[in-house]
Amino acid sequence: MLPDFASVNPETKREALAFLDSLDDARVIAGGTDLLVDMKRGESCGNVVDIMNVKELKRLSVNDGKIIIGSTVTHAAISKTVILNDMAQSLSVACGWVGSPQIRNMGTIGGNLVNASPAADSIPPLLIHDAILSIESKDGMREEALEDFIIAPYETSLRPRELLASVCIKGLPGYREGYRRAAKRAAWAISRLSVAWAISEDDDHFVDVRLAIGSCTPMPFRPRDVEEFLKGREKNDPVIREAVEIVAEEIRRISGDRPSFVYKMPVVKDLVQKALRG
Amino acid sequence: MKAIHFTLNGKKASCEVQDKELLLHTLREQFSLKSLKEGCGIGECGTCTVLIDDEPHYSCLTLASKINGHDVKTVEYLGDAELLHPLQKAFIDSGAVQCGYCTPGMLLSAYSLLIKNGDPSDDEIKEAISGNLCRCTGYIQIIEAIRNAAGLCKCKS
Amino acid sequence: MYIGNETNRIDALDKVVGRPIYAEDLSVPGALFGCVFRSVRPHALIRRIDASAALASSGIVKILSYRDIPGENIFGIIKKDQTYLAEDRVRYVGEPILIVLGQTEEAARKALRLIEIEYEDIDVISDPFISGGSRTLIHEKGNLLSHRKVIKGDIEKGFDEADVIVEHTYTTAWLDHAFMETESGVGYPDNKGRIVVVSSTQNIHYKQKEISKLLAIPEENIKVIQATTGGGFGGKLDVTVEGFLALSVYHAKRPVIMRYTREESFLSNTKRHPLYIEYKTGARKDGAITAIKVSIIGDTGPFASYGETVCLRAAVHATGPYEIPNVHVDSKMFYTNNPVSGAMRGFGVPQLAFAHESQMDEAASMLKLDPFDIRIKNALKKGSLTATSQALHNSVGIVETLKKIEPYWRKRTRESGKTGFGLGCMYYGIGNTGVSNPANACLTITGDGKIALHTGACEIGQGSDTVLAQILQEALGLKMDDIVLVRGDTDTSKDAGSSSASRQTYISGGAVFDAAKKMRQYLDEKGFYKGRSIRDIYNSEADKKLLEHNGFFDPPTTPVDPETSKGSPYATYAFATHMTEVEVEKETGSCRVKKVYAAHDVGRAINPKNIRGQIYGGIAMGVGFALMEEFIPGKSGSFDNYYMPTSMDMPDVEAFIVEDQEPTGPFGAKGLGEPALIPQAASIVNAIKDATGVRAFELPCHIERLKILLEKAKR
Repeated sequence: MLPDFASVNPETKREALAFLDSLDDARVIAGGTDLLVDMKRGESCGNVVDIMNVKELKRLSVNDGKIIIGSTVTHAAISKTVILNDMAQSLSVACGWVGSPQIRNMGTIGGNLVNASPAADSIPPLLIHDAILSIESKDGMREEALEDFIIAPYETSLRPRELLASVCIKGLPGYREGYRRAAKRAAWAISRLSVAWAISEDDDHFVDVRLAIGSCTPMPFRPRDVEEFLKGREKNDPVIREAVEIVAEEIRRISGDRPSFVYKMPVVKDLVQKALRG
Repeated sequence: MKAIHFTLNGKKASCEVQDKELLLHTLREQFSLKSLKEGCGIGECGTCTVLIDDEPHYSCLTLASKINGHDVKTVEYLGDAELLHPLQKAFIDSGAVQCGYCTPGMLLSAYSLLIKNGDPSDDEIKEAISGNLCRCTGYIQIIEAIRNAAGLCKCKS
Repeated sequence: MYIGNETNRIDALDKVVGRPIYAEDLSVPGALFGCVFRSVRPHALIRRIDASAALASSGIVKILSYRDIPGENIFGIIKKDQTYLAEDRVRYVGEPILIVLGQTEEAARKALRLIEIEYEDIDVISDPFISGGSRTLIHEKGNLLSHRKVIKGDIEKGFDEADVIVEHTYTTAWLDHAFMETESGVGYPDNKGRIVVVSSTQNIHYKQKEISKLLAIPEENIKVIQATTGGGFGGKLDVTVEGFLALSVYHAKRPVIMRYTREESFLSNTKRHPLYIEYKTGARKDGAITAIKVSIIGDTGPFASYGETVCLRAAVHATGPYEIPNVHVDSKMFYTNNPVSGAMRGFGVPQLAFAHESQMDEAASMLKLDPFDIRIKNALKKGSLTATSQALHNSVGIVETLKKIEPYWRKRTRESGKTGFGLGCMYYGIGNTGVSNPANACLTITGDGKIALHTGACEIGQGSDTVLAQILQEALGLKMDDIVLVRGDTDTSKDAGSSSASRQTYISGGAVFDAAKKMRQYLDEKGFYKGRSIRDIYNSEADKKLLEHNGFFDPPTTPVDPETSKGSPYATYAFATHMTEVEVEKETGSCRVKKVYAAHDVGRAINPKNIRGQIYGGIAMGVGFALMEEFIPGKSGSFDNYYMPTSMDMPDVEAFIVEDQEPTGPFGAKGLGEPALIPQAASIVNAIKDATGVRAFELPCHIERLKILLEKAKR
């Protein structure tokens, strides 16, 4: 049962921003797969601004190695866009894991980011692609790195009356990329742990390694120490073993020792090791 | 209240909906389409599946106002008892129906796959129906039915 | 031939066009909506309830408490110990306290939040192991609901004769039926002043009896109709919405609708009993099992429901489909303040199959025998004595099911460290345990020249309507068009017993067969088989009462001895063997079930397509039981955190039907619904062991448990 609210369906970004500016106690809805569930479970708000009909927010464009994904591009669209599979494979794979086919047809990349779940599948891939978010309000536009945007589990820097308009990432040509996760069933499941990677290497050395880990710490994160450690290192078993320990160390530094780590730590280690080995 | 105009099962439809009204309730109550079910209300079971612009969606998490200008299909679109769609026929012949509660949603997800892909692999079929839970059948005869109906489904789209 | 062929289900056409009317689809003008106000405490005295604000809120018509019950505030399938509405005390989280009747669902649900209640907490018993010794009593007569023993031979001598002993403890979790349609129904007064309840149910006549006692109204003034039912699996056997609907109609004198939300269904519906099983097996070098000793502790929650049934059935089936000379089983079921556990597909036997099949593999491993060979060596045969010393004379197909699987087992090839194969066998007594559990059926000839089958058997998706119609067709030599089914209504049918215990094909089928014999003789006398039409026979019969032929079947069983369980608790048993291939992803601990070969002795296959459907569905539930399903009180609330298998979790399945005919069954048929699930989890656990070397003693063996087991094995 939903609480009472009024809704508006703007068709342009300007209209949407104007509604957000003028309506009190307003929440933005896109796919509705998170917000409506929360509202059925007791959250409430006076106004809902439904941005799903706003054409500018639905665009996905590629220009000069830069990919701009409108905030209401669905997971289904991302996972099926061929060029994304080339330029940001981890993202396209991760979006294919979100929920079910129906959820992927409804849920959007923007919704996934604004909801800011520690288990959000799209976040680790976007982190390794150094995603920059474009956030707009009636008063103007600001840009923020995804890493700074999420400030706590389910909490972002988005202010009332602001709208997440798009996400910008850079393709990583020449990198091998991927995304793997652990979940309690084969489909339609929350990630218990996820790892995204993009690795460039020459002959026997790591050139640049980007890793992001989800569902482990309060927010998905990039283990920068290990990325730094691996730069230019020879690709061999002792190095990889040491790298894995550094990742574990970084996780403990963020979260301390949690009961769930009995499971998660060995999985992170195994998945990172696999990713590094390739 | 909002007035919405959309295409429902191939015909023009209009109605008034509350701001917070869910498509599931609009279709069940205003259009008497009782084939849509509310198995969980939070988009975790698939019994409320409808096609919006031929793609499966959960109507329990879709605000009715969203469908203004869109195309909506329910299982009634596929066929009726006198003139079954080949997919419905295949469901009967393969034994893909037990309690029947998931069946309308399952048929719609399958139909959406088959109009895009006339020769799906078993893995593609499984993925296409992975957002529709069934507790009775173990899915096997559903998968068989979809496989058997593939290629016959472009006749009505 | 009308049986044994690929007949389509008679309800499938309606279901593929979305036409069937489930309870929630009934349109009842002017109906109120009823909601249940439930306890949030596991064990507490109710000090004060103030529902005045709720009653005064907009759209609320009535609020009912136990004081409004004119008859008895008590129900239960065997032991009647469960209150419809709590009186001075609540015993579990989710226990119904009040019914709120509103003009709309929204009004009723909003009013629930306005009810004030003051509790005084009592010690909570959350563990069956402390329940028995606790001074806190959940019921006056103590916290032990049931204690059963199965004793055969000399257990000490049996272990003395053994060369190896295998001893382990197995535990299982609470599971939810997770039928796709939640509990729902409609009640209304009919024009004769009777109370009618239409609901999603597995047993109309039982509900009629309970409502009669609840309202202190004779049974003939209560009518229960089964709406199209969206799955049951045992979870729609106990009274759920039916009692509340009847009570509401009694007071409101107008129609009332109820429908549980998914969250409410998870909170309030009965669960599969979690069992704690200590299991000791003794075997000789040649693989012969000499002795089995089992101790079972179960948690039934605060009310009996089917706890006694599970306690006994688990004990009787504890040794599996094997002939064991020396047996000692001790099975206890305790009350706790945990969720109410009740009937769920297999009544405790799937839990025991997990244990006995794991033991079989462990014994084989110690003896360096092939897991297949040890099973076939010990398997029950014609003339064998079961654990209850029942001699099996007919329809003992376990060896034949093993032989169907044998070629696949012998040629299996493992991808080392990744894939593995496991076996699971089972036997299962068809029908209720050691008690009379008959079914009636009635055949009449209608004015439009058809044979009408009146049955109280509930079609819950399993296919009983189709199977009963096929049995009738076969017995009378009629086309499906010549038959009408009059079903699911206490006015038009006599009691057929519940759709549970895999009993309807065998028992209601037996009753239909019995009625059909009489009808056939009548039709024969009237010249039907010489070409006379049914309509003509109808028209020429002066005494229309002669058109009616009643059938009855009660499987021949004997009660079991209270001390030893000696006896013949079931007239016939189903047998099965499953072989499963799994692939384990060692990094994450996730196990994928790749392939299942399943062979089932069903006596006689009335409808092979339905049989395959039951086997596939049972396997899906077994995959859930083994790998993911776990109801955690206070945490599991809906499908977002109670995972059951999706299409992508399902293996390929090859099903084999074995027909070792049962002489007392209709055309030789037995039952299948539960057997399809029973051996599946066990075969998965055995396959995981084969793939990885680790064995799960606790279910579900979900990714976290499996990964931790793999990590421990590394050290």
